[in-house]
Amino acid sequence: MLGVKNLHKSFGNNQVLKGIDFQVDEGEVIAIIGSSGSGKTTLLRCMAFLEQADDGIYTFDDLSKEIRSITRKEIKELRMKMGFVFQSFNLFRNKTALQNVMEGLVVARKMDQKQAEEISMKMLEKVGMTDRANYYPDQLSGGQQQRVAIARALAANPEVIFFDEPTSALDPELTGEVLDVMVKLAEEGTTMVIVTHEMEFARNVADRVIFMENGVVVEEGPAKEILSDPKEEATRRFLRRILRNEEE
Amino acid sequence: MSDRFFRIVRILVESFPKLLIQCLKITIPLTVLSFFFGLILALILALVQVAEIKGLKQFARFYVWIFRGTPLMLQLFVIFYGLPSFGIYFKGFPAAVIAFSLNLAAYNSEIIRSAIQAVPIGQTEAGYMIGLNYFQVMTRIVLPQAARIAFPPLFSSLIGMTKDTSLASSITVIEMMSVAKRIAAVYYEPFWMYMETGFIYLMICTVLTRLQSDFERRLEWKQPIEVKQAIEAVEAENLAHKSRWKVK
Repeated sequence: MLGVKNLHKSFGNNQVLKGIDFQVDEGEVIAIIGSSGSGKTTLLRCMAFLEQADDGIYTFDDLSKEIRSITRKEIKELRMKMGFVFQSFNLFRNKTALQNVMEGLVVARKMDQKQAEEISMKMLEKVGMTDRANYYPDQLSGGQQQRVAIARALAANPEVIFFDEPTSALDPELTGEVLDVMVKLAEEGTTMVIVTHEMEFARNVADRVIFMENGVVVEEGPAKEILSDPKEEATRRFLRRILRNEEE
Repeated sequence: MSDRFFRIVRILVESFPKLLIQCLKITIPLTVLSFFFGLILALILALVQVAEIKGLKQFARFYVWIFRGTPLMLQLFVIFYGLPSFGIYFKGFPAAVIAFSLNLAAYNSEIIRSAIQAVPIGQTEAGYMIGLNYFQVMTRIVLPQAARIAFPPLFSSLIGMTKDTSLASSITVIEMMSVAKRIAAVYYEPFWMYMETGFIYLMICTVLTRLQSDFERRLEWKQPIEVKQAIEAVEAENLAHKSRWKVK
């Protein structure tokens, strides 16, 4: 459904992605793991065109093109089929929770107010935020904001949702409520690509895990296989370090 | 001694309406008009810089450099005394409005530009990801948030403008300060005359300061959470906990 081939990206002299091949099929949940600086967030942002990749082939449904030749108009159309959940939520601070969810429907998709509100309330219900529909982001906790952000990403019924470390900015006791929502989405068959540090979550929810280091995919495969019995030494080293940190 | 005292009181009482009329007729309209035009021009100057429009951006930087780098008095003189050598004549009042607007635009454009840049980039990215275009992101997300950031410094600039209008007396505009000068010269009581004039300026600025805090409160994105609602929420939660206890 969505994929990139031989994706390259540099920031100045710093080569962040060194030829990534990546593919996600409909209904699949993919977790991308790796230490910070490995390029996993950049990969996600390149696929959403929040960063301009230098080179590579981009595929989405029946579009398949050299990534730099994709026009601004095509990018806008592609984004209509995507949802993106940011590490720092990025809810519109000047709008209420409900307005945040409605914005894309009313403004970008020209839906009428009433229908958009109906759909948006349904999305807020899904993430358990109906009682805070009229609150502004500043009046919500981090976990609540992220749940509203997920509702906003869901509203337009996208074909795929990207999650960029959705729980990294949260207090530990607030990560549960966000992960619960994501588990629910996975069970409903939502296609998701998740950059995460939550190994337990990846193990239980992801169909496939991708381990990245220094801008390349080191290892990928079924979640249980990669996380319990990795083939590569680099993956083993990474997992050992993560587990040790979690125990502390 | 008491003779002088009563004389001063009489001068002050008699001059007060004259000052006030000039304030209402000239000082305030001059301030309002200059600020209005200056703000529109400032917004344009700021937007072409943020949007990085080639040529216009460099022009805006050049403009700001010139009008911040030369005295306001000089700018007044160039427009009122200087332009006639090119056959361009302005009366005092329009010349003052032009000079003040051009000068304010330079300062206010910097305030607006920095306010726009202070809105986190994540707000723009989130806007793009729900399918908005550049114009929609600017008008619906970024500018409303920038307005709140820019508001206090813009108000300071308005308060500054109110007092700077006194410079217009140097190009034959009979505003409050020129009237004060004349009366002071007639009665030889400059100290008390200028104290009285200062008092009127102070009163205008007091009203403006009050307005500022009123507007600021109105610009806040907060839903008033009613006490009753909050209590209900807490009670509902307690009830839920209790019932859970009973089941166990």
